Amino acid sequence: MSRLLSAIALSLVLSLSAVPAAVAKPRDPAHAITSQLICPCSCGEVLSGCTCETGKSMQGTVENGIKQGKSKDQIVGALVAQYGEVIRGAPKAEGFNLIVWVAPFAATLAGFGIAFLILQRMVRRRAALTAPGLEGVAAGGRAGTRAGPSGRALQADLDALRARAEAELRQLRR
Amino acid sequence: MSELGRLALLLGFVCSLFAVGSIAWGLRTGLSGPLRSGRRAVWTVCALALLALILLERALLARDMSYRYVAEHTSRDLPLHYAFTALWAGQEGSLLLWLLILSAYGAVFLFAYRKRLDPFYDAVAMVIATVMVFFTGLLTFVCSPFRILATPPPDGMGLNPLLQDPGMMIHPPILYTGYVGFVVPFAFAMAVLLLNRSGTRWIEEVRRWTLFCWGFLAVGILLGARWAYIELGWGGYWGWDPVENASLMPWLVGTGFLHSVMIEQRRGMLKTWNIALIALTFELSIFGTFLTRSGVLTSVHSFAESNIGPWFLGFILISGTAATALILYRKALLESENRMDAMVSREGSFLFNNVLFVALTFATFLGTTFPVLSEAVTGTKISVSAPFFNRVNVPIALALLLLTGAGPVLSWKRATASVLKRNFVLPTFLGILAVLIALPFGVTGVYSLVCIFGAVFVITTIVMEFARGIQARRSAEAAAGLPVQVAHLVQKNKRRYGGYIVHAGIVVLFVGVLGSSVFQKEAHAPLRNGQALQVGPYTLTLRGVTERQKQNASLTTAILDVQRGGKFVGTEHASKALYTKSQQPMTEVALHSTPMEDLYMILGGVNEDGSASIQAYINPLVSFVWVGGLIMVLGTIIALSDKMRLRREEKSAP
Repeated sequence: MSRLLSAIALSLVLSLSAVPAAVAKPRDPAHAITSQLICPCSCGEVLSGCTCETGKSMQGTVENGIKQGKSKDQIVGALVAQYGEVIRGAPKAEGFNLIVWVAPFAATLAGFGIAFLILQRMVRRRAALTAPGLEGVAAGGRAGTRAGPSGRALQADLDALRARAEAELRQLRR
Repeated sequence: MSELGRLALLLGFVCSLFAVGSIAWGLRTGLSGPLRSGRRAVWTVCALALLALILLERALLARDMSYRYVAEHTSRDLPLHYAFTALWAGQEGSLLLWLLILSAYGAVFLFAYRKRLDPFYDAVAMVIATVMVFFTGLLTFVCSPFRILATPPPDGMGLNPLLQDPGMMIHPPILYTGYVGFVVPFAFAMAVLLLNRSGTRWIEEVRRWTLFCWGFLAVGILLGARWAYIELGWGGYWGWDPVENASLMPWLVGTGFLHSVMIEQRRGMLKTWNIALIALTFELSIFGTFLTRSGVLTSVHSFAESNIGPWFLGFILISGTAATALILYRKALLESENRMDAMVSREGSFLFNNVLFVALTFATFLGTTFPVLSEAVTGTKISVSAPFFNRVNVPIALALLLLTGAGPVLSWKRATASVLKRNFVLPTFLGILAVLIALPFGVTGVYSLVCIFGAVFVITTIVMEFARGIQARRSAEAAAGLPVQVAHLVQKNKRRYGGYIVHAGIVVLFVGVLGSSVFQKEAHAPLRNGQALQVGPYTLTLRGVTERQKQNASLTTAILDVQRGGKFVGTEHASKALYTKSQQPMTEVALHSTPMEDLYMILGGVNEDGSASIQAYINPLVSFVWVGGLIMVLGTIIALSDKMRLRREEKSAP
């Protein structure tokens, strides 16, 4: 079985790798610019795929700029001066617009941090529940006889669970 | 007839209000009479919404131009089937369809649980009816589809040419079935909080409802992508357009919920989180409707002009606040019953997977709404479009792809070192091998390489899971062939293996997205008759340009002979349609599809010198996107058919 598995997986790898390899070629320099801009007319398409008149005119400007040896920044700067910041497909990462660039990654990292802390706390609570000397409590023994805060917390946990189980049983019997 | 339509909606509003009041009274007093009346009122709203919809359809099909809605969205030359689908071309008709689907969910819900006498189900119906109050109220008092024009025009303004596509006939109803359906899980969650119910049975029921809506939303999103691919003519299928994002957001949060709900079922954990996710999914589905219907996205100023925008915003604020308040009020009910054994476990991976789903939703939400926020703060209009989302969302999505492989093969409670070794060594090795094979062929981008690694990693883990399952059952089915063994394995645990099939679909879709975006090729040139354009291995030769009149548009068509590597593969027709009413030009793409690549041809227009502007793309692996979607649907259907499990759980309950 493991041989069959390896064969299937290997063939997957090979087929997957072969496909993009056959077509991976660099795009033209105009595309690198037009794929980052938006057509300012009502169509709102990414410029590289835009077929409206405004879009075609802007595509022409980009191609002429490249032929004249202008840099990407010069070409984009001239178009922005003509049509406004609205033509940038992604806003410049400066001033107020920094928020949109930073916030998603900051939120992801914060989310990971919070999830990590929650998991850590849960694991610790579980470890406390199964610590040597408390197995009897974890197994459902009367913890009220035990002294200390963890014993009381466990008793409260067990009482709450028992009450909930009884409530659910009553509900099911109804 | 318009009076009858208005009356139906007004009665619907009254019945919805009655249903809420009557059920609330019945729940408070314990009397069964008001509960029964409330249930009947929900049924009645469904019948009234259907009546209103039939009346509007009648007017659309008859092109009764005295109706403002008909005059704004149809014309006499519009083909009959598009007159029918004009129902969801405008705001009022779309909201009426929303209401019909919403009330149908209410009715189906009551039918499905008709034998359950537990008032819990009445409470669920009450929450659904509360949402109905909003929609019937909106359609009655704010934007009635039955408004009559004092002087009907001789002809209407016509249907937006973009919507005159077969895809648009089914895409909106399917998308709405997904969108609107999230009201049921939301109603379940709110009913649990309202009645202070504990237990996990409702969670299994909610999971099934959510899976159903999630599946429909996925199909709706994919149909929308397919429509954009064929109809918009820009060479792609997903442009991170606000409308696309609006449908993606509830789907993402819903996906997160479908994962974390397993932790609650298995371990009694994450109860607050799960209820919050359900509420967020519902609010996002309303927010999506708000985004697309309020006009807020065009500009912050158009929001003030919209007559429904403030109503939607008010509803989102009220329902969101109510849900949050209820969650906080019932904090004790939502306390976790269990504790984690170890961080490296399936629970742990699902929690991180949830963080990524919510982060992806947040990034999409922020990017979609940021132009409005920025304009309001800085006064400058900006765009946040595909170039932004490709840089921000893609890395988060790739991290999710990796977790798709890791999560299912980690054990519940605690993944030991031997489990990690057994489950991760081969997938990691093959993933790295795939990357090493891809590198010399010019695949260099980090995202592309991570995607290749992730795809191979996930597929290998899935294949391994199937192989292990088959091996475990081998003694029982030694004589059966592999397909039979796989079928039996899936049948034995439809939910689990259905989930794996959905994951496999996601991987195929990712491969399609990788191929068609990173490795796309493009060429364009003005062609005269007999001239050729080369794009990759294809040669397109212009054979001629024809003009003809359709029912409501004039059509200019470029006839192109297509050769691949010198071998003739077919004649394709790329057209430009000019719609008579709107004078709006529309692209009709010529598509030569093969399993490995699409040749996508567009006629940009006919130039003054008589040449035709031809643009052609090679989109590798685009078919994988659609096939991946179909595999996802198949997996969803399999997971949904897992009724036995629920029954077994019900029987085993004391």
